[in-house]
Amino acid sequence: MIAGNLEANGSPWNSRDSDLNSLLVIGLGNPILSDDGIGWRVAEEVQKALQLGPDGNREGAEIDFDYLALGGLSLMERMVGYSHAIVIDAIQTGLEPPGKVSIFLLEELPDYAQGRTTAVHETSLQTAIQVGQDLGAPLPDKIDIVTIEAEVLFDFSESLTPEVEAAIPEATRAVMNRIDQWKVDQKN
Amino acid sequence: MTQRITIDPITRLEGHGKIEIFLDPDGNVANTYFQVPQLRGFEQFCVGRQVEEVPLLTNRICGVCPEAHHMAGAKAADAVYHVDPPSTAKKLRELLYSAFYVTDHTTHFYALAGPDFVMGPDAPVAERNILGVIHKVGLEIGGQVIQCRKNGHTVIEMIGGRKVHPCTSIPGGLTKGITEEQRQEIEKMGRWAIGFAQFSLKLFNDIVLGNKAYLDLILGDIYTHKTYYIGMVDENNKINFYDGKVSVVSPDGERIGKYGPGDYSEWIEEHVEPWTYLKFPYLKKVGWKGFVDGKDSGVYCATPLSRVNAADGMATPLAQEEYEKFFATLGGKPVHQRLATHWARLIELLYAAERWVELATDPEITSPKFHTIPTEKPTEGVGIVEAPRGTLTHHYWTDERGVTTKVNLIVGTTNNYAPISMSINKAASSLIKKGTVVSEGLLNMVEMAFRAYDPCLSCATHSLPGKMPLEVTIHDADGNPLEVLKQFVE
Repeated sequence: MIAGNLEANGSPWNSRDSDLNSLLVIGLGNPILSDDGIGWRVAEEVQKALQLGPDGNREGAEIDFDYLALGGLSLMERMVGYSHAIVIDAIQTGLEPPGKVSIFLLEELPDYAQGRTTAVHETSLQTAIQVGQDLGAPLPDKIDIVTIEAEVLFDFSESLTPEVEAAIPEATRAVMNRIDQWKVDQKN
Repeated sequence: MTQRITIDPITRLEGHGKIEIFLDPDGNVANTYFQVPQLRGFEQFCVGRQVEEVPLLTNRICGVCPEAHHMAGAKAADAVYHVDPPSTAKKLRELLYSAFYVTDHTTHFYALAGPDFVMGPDAPVAERNILGVIHKVGLEIGGQVIQCRKNGHTVIEMIGGRKVHPCTSIPGGLTKGITEEQRQEIEKMGRWAIGFAQFSLKLFNDIVLGNKAYLDLILGDIYTHKTYYIGMVDENNKINFYDGKVSVVSPDGERIGKYGPGDYSEWIEEHVEPWTYLKFPYLKKVGWKGFVDGKDSGVYCATPLSRVNAADGMATPLAQEEYEKFFATLGGKPVHQRLATHWARLIELLYAAERWVELATDPEITSPKFHTIPTEKPTEGVGIVEAPRGTLTHHYWTDERGVTTKVNLIVGTTNNYAPISMSINKAASSLIKKGTVVSEGLLNMVEMAFRAYDPCLSCATHSLPGKMPLEVTIHDADGNPLEVLKQFVE
């Protein structure tokens, strides 16, 4: 096979050294698509809170932040090298009131959420994670998903709708709780 | 009673398109409708901003091809300021764009086309995805796909400032250049990409062309439409993704003309249908005759297949060899079989990799002359690039301060809305006959028609009124209403 002639380029996963004590917080969504921007807004609040907080964001461990409008393989590739990830995103189930904050593990994410939480141009995040794992990528053991039920996802605007905007403090607390739990897990 | 079959969502594609197939009482296909959810108001969103900001906004339309929007926007902003960027800036932009093409076409082949061909249209749903593909072709190849993506993102970041949403193109060129050290790294990755592209073509050759059933599927009538084709070419009529004129060829393969960015409105017009807010572009000189192919219908296609049809060849040697093999195998130009788009995409992948190396070894590429300061009064400008999914046109108007007063975009997928709709209808009509059980594999073959175009729906629906149609009535051949559709309601 021609592939055998390809120059070995090392592991495709070596973009970041794997760190067993690292957490990546991702604000996901399109910041100019109305409520789809909620993930970024909450991530910003969490980042601010950690910087202002009494213990800073370091307790012998590392927390990184990323602001992305990606899904599938691209999103999976960004998680490489972290032991834990928290993804914050808008969701539209139509079953909950706008602004409703929910917390799942990735594997618990209901099917109806896949469209919003992951761009499906190539594949879903779940499949992409499986691809990465099968190819030996050092991916997080645990991926928390914090979602906020959105109202408007198809109109270009830099503003959130009032109910979704009002959910920022609760969603921020939810993410902070996950981070606190992660810190506890680190100590154990 | 009319039976309705819904394929929802169309898996493995950006956005949430829905195909509706309506069967007549005998179980044959009566009508098919392909609808997409609309993202609204992008053009209005861009109005009232400094025009140099717009290429940064347009690349946020969606997460799939921000690089294409950034490039078309940058070229439109150059034109607004009547400034010609220095050749180093143009070459750096094209180098970034070549790396992007390699990344995007690779992902498409292994994640979207691969499941259909490597696994097969009748494979179980659970295996018909990229996971199935990498397990079948080998985990080592899966690693190469990831490597290829990583390399592409590295080049995009070096030149574009960010991995996915580049931000360095401004009116008159770029905000930064590259160092000799970066150039060497880019060249090395480009040479690797050529080998990977050749491997991918060999894989296609072995798995698809070596399989008579697949070849028959590609060459069969089901996925064939004799439409016009458009694609950007250089001065020698060879494919170019970044710059040139748009060549237009007829279903007979005759070039009926070429247009530059400033003339697009003389060539392209948009047809409106009551059941969708997405418009159907067509060739103005030929006219809209409905969802039909042939020389008298202005329906055209803008895809990798269109580009190879609309050009006289490839500008790089290895891709040219593949180009010749393509037409020799498929019976000469133009090739109308839509599934051949997957093969054309791989030829473009090889071209993009070769062009990547050509540009990375250009003596000018590390020059510090990467920007020309605009001095003219801003007015109006058009920028055209070939996005992976088709010709992408950005048109901006500004006041004398360079603040946008109007924005118009014709995106790759929009170009193909009519041919996509036609392909879906034809595939459904050919595959669903009286008494035929509609199996998952059969439905997937309808979707295959669609995936050949690789439509990116989220940016195709950028300019729309704030309300969607409430209902649509389907009529039979005599004009009698068969069914009222209400699934359009938000």
